Amino acid sequence: MPKIETTGKLFYSLLGKTINDEQLEEIFPVAKAELDGHEDDLLKIELNDTNRPDLWSAAGIARQLKAYWGTEAPLYDFFSTADETFLSEGRELIVDASAKEVRPYSIGFAAKGHKVSEDELEALIQSQEKLCSNFGRKRKTIAIGIYRSDLITYPVHYRGADPDTTKFIPLGMDKELTLREICSEHPKGREYGPIVSDSKVFPYLHDDKGETLSFPPVINSAHIGAVEVGDENLFLELSGSDLHDLLLAASILACDMSDLGYEILPVKVSFPEETAFGREITVPYYFQEPISCTLSQVHKTLGEPMSGDDAVAALKRMGIYAVYDEDTLWATVPEWRNDFLHPVDLVEDIMIGYGLENFQPEMPQDFTVGRLSLAEELGRKVKDLMVGLGFQEMMYNYLGSKREYVDNMQFPAEKCIFISNPMSENYEVVRPSIIPSLLESESVSAHASFPHKIFEVGKIAFIDEGENSGTTTRNSLGFLASDSVMGYNEVSSIVNTLFYFLGKEYQLAALEGDGRFIEGRCARIMLGEQQVGVFGEIHPAVLENWGSETPTIACEVDLDLLMN
Amino acid sequence: MEIDVKNLHPLEVRLLRHVVLGEPITAGRIVDELDYKVGQCNQAFSWLSAKGYLVEKSRESRVLYELTEFGREQAEKGTPAQRIFTFIKAEGPHTLPEIASALGLEKSEVGSAFGQLSKARCAKMNDENKAQSIADELSGEFLLTANLLQKGFQGNLDESALDADEKKAMGKIAKKRGAASSPFKVIEREDIVYELTEEGAQAKEAVLKANITGEELGSLTPEMLATGSWKEGAFRPYGLNAPTSRLIPGRHNPYGNYLQWVKDKLCSLGFEEFDGSLVENEFWNGDALFMPQFHSARDIHDVYYLKDPVHCKEIEEPWLSQVAKTHEDGWETGSRGWRYSFDHEFTRRQVLRSQGTVLSARQLPKAKIPGKYFGVARCFRYDQVDATHGADFYQTEGIVLGNDVNLKTLLGLLKMFAEEIAGAEEVRYVPGYFPFTEPSIEVHIKHPVLGWFELGGSGIFRPEVTKALGIDVPVLAWGLGIDRMALMHLGLNDLRELFTPNIESVRTRRGN
Repeated sequence: MPKIETTGKLFYSLLGKTINDEQLEEIFPVAKAELDGHEDDLLKIELNDTNRPDLWSAAGIARQLKAYWGTEAPLYDFFSTADETFLSEGRELIVDASAKEVRPYSIGFAAKGHKVSEDELEALIQSQEKLCSNFGRKRKTIAIGIYRSDLITYPVHYRGADPDTTKFIPLGMDKELTLREICSEHPKGREYGPIVSDSKVFPYLHDDKGETLSFPPVINSAHIGAVEVGDENLFLELSGSDLHDLLLAASILACDMSDLGYEILPVKVSFPEETAFGREITVPYYFQEPISCTLSQVHKTLGEPMSGDDAVAALKRMGIYAVYDEDTLWATVPEWRNDFLHPVDLVEDIMIGYGLENFQPEMPQDFTVGRLSLAEELGRKVKDLMVGLGFQEMMYNYLGSKREYVDNMQFPAEKCIFISNPMSENYEVVRPSIIPSLLESESVSAHASFPHKIFEVGKIAFIDEGENSGTTTRNSLGFLASDSVMGYNEVSSIVNTLFYFLGKEYQLAALEGDGRFIEGRCARIMLGEQQVGVFGEIHPAVLENWGSETPTIACEVDLDLLMN
Repeated sequence: MEIDVKNLHPLEVRLLRHVVLGEPITAGRIVDELDYKVGQCNQAFSWLSAKGYLVEKSRESRVLYELTEFGREQAEKGTPAQRIFTFIKAEGPHTLPEIASALGLEKSEVGSAFGQLSKARCAKMNDENKAQSIADELSGEFLLTANLLQKGFQGNLDESALDADEKKAMGKIAKKRGAASSPFKVIEREDIVYELTEEGAQAKEAVLKANITGEELGSLTPEMLATGSWKEGAFRPYGLNAPTSRLIPGRHNPYGNYLQWVKDKLCSLGFEEFDGSLVENEFWNGDALFMPQFHSARDIHDVYYLKDPVHCKEIEEPWLSQVAKTHEDGWETGSRGWRYSFDHEFTRRQVLRSQGTVLSARQLPKAKIPGKYFGVARCFRYDQVDATHGADFYQTEGIVLGNDVNLKTLLGLLKMFAEEIAGAEEVRYVPGYFPFTEPSIEVHIKHPVLGWFELGGSGIFRPEVTKALGIDVPVLAWGLGIDRMALMHLGLNDLRELFTPNIESVRTRRGN
């Protein structure tokens, strides 16, 4: 979940007033935000809604809260639409067909009239980072560059360039590198280069005189791309693979910068072919469709009858302009949002705008029958029997190491489910049996007075090619006992008692070739032709592997097979 | 000094009553006079000394001779030498084997006894190789031995009480170690001379005053009940605070008990339990929950992938087609979808279940309406293991299906959980965010011990989730974070402790 930091100075000036932390915490749920910390003048804020990138900046949060308080929203009057296009006064960005195979879209806009201060520049860079990493999937679908507009000769060109002959001095370095060299030598190149490095051509942004702006999505040039405190005229460019997301990100940045005091200047973007919004788009561009829902749907979802006026007022508090006609509610989606996939998304905004505290909890009226699963019922019966037999119930983790589940147990690795991206080799395998878990207890409990009698009823999982997943998860009973005198007779007697009370008549068959047990002192528990469990004396080699010096017996029973 | 006579054992009581201040008290005396066994006497000395009622005055060593089993038999039947002499005197000369079989003795015993007789000139081997007696009666040494055996029968013999001849004879028939085949065993004993202390004298007074004799009945035995002998005595009162021994019972795991309690609670509220496989696929783990395939929580750093098999064989239809279409353009759900091309290979990729909501999604196609379901599901997350993160952990999740469920019934349900399961004093709801619910609500509670914390997340399943899985009614979905309360119940503060393999720590864990 995105977390942002902002100075209180910037945040409160955007908010138009200073409020204390308690008041912040009170109002923050409106933006699904949480105050994570407040030290000196630095506020740390966590945003829970991953579909609301407009809230990942101080300006965006302030905009939402002010709307809720009823402050009249500023007029963002720089958006071109399908019907109305602002003049770009020569600011143009030309997207070349050569970029199509690597990163098809690039858009941009400019801003002027405000000297960027230190905390604003930080806020801007943070917005850029949050949009690129969270919303833009670590720059995969959105990368944003901020440039010094004064140094640019329009039009700006975006194209696919030869990675081995195209070169420039990247930000943070003092020598020219080719695009391919940047991918291996520049830290940002190593981090983001892989997004494009499989392509024949790499994305490249330069002005009409051939001066480099950047190698998107990797790094800006050290000249035009080096924005500093005090810069007054900026050009912002966004490249990526999804035009909707790019336009939304541009709209969010434009509104944020407008809130900071910039005048937003449109840029005409020309594409080599038709897009969803034509071949030419003047950015910032308002592309959102209106969303509607019925008041009866609001009533059904929220459980509260609501008049059209109530719903409109609630949406206004969320910064959404809406009208209604009889049962239908029409809402204009704000420029900075695009999270209305379904009418229920509008209903939620009505809920928040109306105030959750205004909905009285009601008990569900439907009568339903509560019931435990069959596995739980049998599991409880088995647990009670084991406790009656003097055993302590244990509960274990289901992930462990190959050493524990395979090597120590002399158990075949090909029966085990391995994780392909383990965080550590300690948690790399799903346990195929409860017995290694029980033996782990032995290895750490030599100090606990004997006899040890422990068991678990839990899940195990292992390879089973007959299943759709190629694996099977089983409900299983495992028990273990150890003492200076402990052997086959003891475990056989326990099995006998257990199965008597479970009402199952079993036969024993020889168990051969199972390295976990001493050959000739272990058995398979058979119900008819079906094996439902194994038990025996743990092999001394296995005990040695676990560092145990006490004779030990163990048994494991597949409870799913007892349920029929 | 406060003297609790109930803390005195009968052996102590009888000893105290028997002795007086100033006189020497020895084991020998007590064994003789009170008919104690030596062990009982020593125990009484040790207890009384520990209480400060007896004090050691001096020590003296002495040697005792104790009759062995073997010696006891000889004392009753006579020594082999005696018996052989008597036999050949009465029956005339016989060969040694004849004697052995007539007297029921081992041949070796007969051989060695005859050797002693012939050495003492009481018998000899005649020309026919038969043993015959050559004296009228046994010589003194044999009589001495027989005499010692008879005396030994009465009790241990003190070396100081034997004369020189007896000592000499005893030297031949007593052994310190391996005495099983000798008539006497040598016991070296250090005798300690005790005296009663002032406190001991007071204890004696207290015992007399309380009229305790030490003859009171101890443990009730089957014999006492069978014979009715208990009727003739009084029962000795026991010290009530005597130290107890540690018992290790068979027990349920307290965390398991807590989970069972939660399950029972949910059942009592009308919920039916569901369960499922630990191995899931991207379809059910994310796609069916309308999480776009590019969602950040579906990253390699959040979910564990299976090494093999990488993919499951197939995804159930029509759910696959409907879900895929819903992601792409909303299908018939009223949504515009996520607008991307659904990856049919990615959806089959296998993972370890990362959230309990998977089970809710899987339940939808087969759910009853109205219906309430829950599951306590083991989930796996790609997380560094520490006090607040486990490699695997339980999530408690569920759904409510019904024509008339809505936000207000969701709030009611959460209130019921907060009060019934968490014992909340106050409940607060705030808007939340989950990819699969809209609206989404977090419930925060004020717990009597833990204070304010987030109890769980909930919401109404998005139509993109329910419609694509064949459900046309609203579905409330909820998840409860019960581990914090479980830790509190168990008096723990580290999640790793819930699954500890340490037997001692589980054995001693109480739980509330």
